[in-house]
Amino acid sequence: MGSGRSHDAARGAETGPSTPSAPADRLFQLVVESSPNGVVMVDRRGTIVLVNRETERLFGYTRDELVGQSIERLVPERFRDSHPPVRRDFYEHPQARPMGAGRDLFGIHKDGSEIPVEIGLNPIEAEHGLFVLASVIDIRPRQQAEAELRRSNEELERFAYVVSHDLQEPLRTVSSYVQLLSRRYHDRLDADGVEFIDFAVGGVRRMQQLIADLLLFSRVGTRGAPLVPTNLQTAFEGTLASLHAALDESQATVTADRLPMVIADAGQLAQLLTNLLGNALKFRGTEAPRAHVGATRTGRMWTISVQDNGIGIAPEYFERIFVIFQRLHAREEYAGTGVGLAICKKIVERHGGRIWVESTPGQGARFCFTLPAADGVS
Amino acid sequence: MAIAAPPLEIMLVEDNAADVRLTLEAFKEARVANRLHVARDGVEAIRMLREPGTATPRPDLILLDLNLPRKDGREVLKEIKQDDALRHIPVVILSTSQADQDILHSYRLGANAFITKPVEIDQFFEAVRSLEQFWLTVAKLTRP
Repeated sequence: MGSGRSHDAARGAETGPSTPSAPADRLFQLVVESSPNGVVMVDRRGTIVLVNRETERLFGYTRDELVGQSIERLVPERFRDSHPPVRRDFYEHPQARPMGAGRDLFGIHKDGSEIPVEIGLNPIEAEHGLFVLASVIDIRPRQQAEAELRRSNEELERFAYVVSHDLQEPLRTVSSYVQLLSRRYHDRLDADGVEFIDFAVGGVRRMQQLIADLLLFSRVGTRGAPLVPTNLQTAFEGTLASLHAALDESQATVTADRLPMVIADAGQLAQLLTNLLGNALKFRGTEAPRAHVGATRTGRMWTISVQDNGIGIAPEYFERIFVIFQRLHAREEYAGTGVGLAICKKIVERHGGRIWVESTPGQGARFCFTLPAADGVS
Repeated sequence: MAIAAPPLEIMLVEDNAADVRLTLEAFKEARVANRLHVARDGVEAIRMLREPGTATPRPDLILLDLNLPRKDGREVLKEIKQDDALRHIPVVILSTSQADQDILHSYRLGANAFITKPVEIDQFFEAVRSLEQFWLTVAKLTRP
């Protein structure tokens, strides 16, 4: 049956090192045989000449049932007719590439069930001609893990939403009655009594802010708009307008490069810039705050930076600042709930980008994030 | 201007005891004499409206929460506005919701005003005062 040499070679790997062969060959066989991926070698006519152990496991055939057979045996019925032309085309232009980029690929098991797979193709130039080495990965475990992760994330977001929504009601009651106490009995309370009420009211306000921010955080994933070509320049100008009062009050100067078109949710983009520029004002040094928004292109992504002249951040906190509820300062120094940068991170990641900070304490901070370019050309 | 007018009869449809009391306290500070009658859910509200007695006369004004047990505020509002004997009574929605669709939906069903239950009590007392103003200027004209 079929190409005996390759068949025997594969066999050799199974039966151990007693089979005489060149060490390099031997090593190749061992590597192929022990590969965690299914490995299938096919000749120019589409005949299987070699399979490894994982291929047997994946498709449920023994190698005797596969070697010498057409590769189409492993292709589901519905793709079988279209497969040979694609295969011949590969032999015309042999180069290593993933198979069916952007399409879902399936193999078919001996029992008739379809297996979602990923396949990498490599041309192998041998003495007796050109072969194709296909590396097949069963992606079911990955799909399951992804589905599980998605489900657990959605559940967490729903949980955060429901909890924060339902917490508001009793909190409103506490707040109302503490305020009513103050309203009705203010004259009859001594200084201590007034102070206690002030602390209670302050605590309630803070919790309301935390809940509001938590809701905002949970909505990044659940209430996002579609990602479409969006003008970052427009988003930036809108952000400046909404920060107008804060900018005036702190006598801040904000400058920017000409900002590009990116693939984004415009509302979330504005929120991202608002949070970062807001931080630049909040964590100012002794001088009037200055901030610059820059843009540089790297491949298919834009890197956007927000540079300020504020107090800066020590390197040991570069990661921690993006974690929800993490704060580096006492509340009396700088107000806030520790949610702002966590929201930024969640927004950027939803857009397929990443966010990080570069800083030296006392010399300002530079927050950078990447977003996909709207033209998509690298 | 203070002449001995009959008190303003107000029906409050609200299941949260804390909110009932808070509304009572707010109306205590009102300048207009008033009596507050409380229904704790939608079914009770409709019964009190359809079968008025001396203890619970037909109200001049209804304050209605949206989220109620048994029959929610939207259904109560709809029934009031479809009832010829009741539809003239001004209905003010009191809700924690700030969602545009809740507000819009309430107006479509015939609500006369929508007040978001505020977090700051001064705002709430202010809202009650403006309700009173609303009553004195507009609603009084419709009083039989």
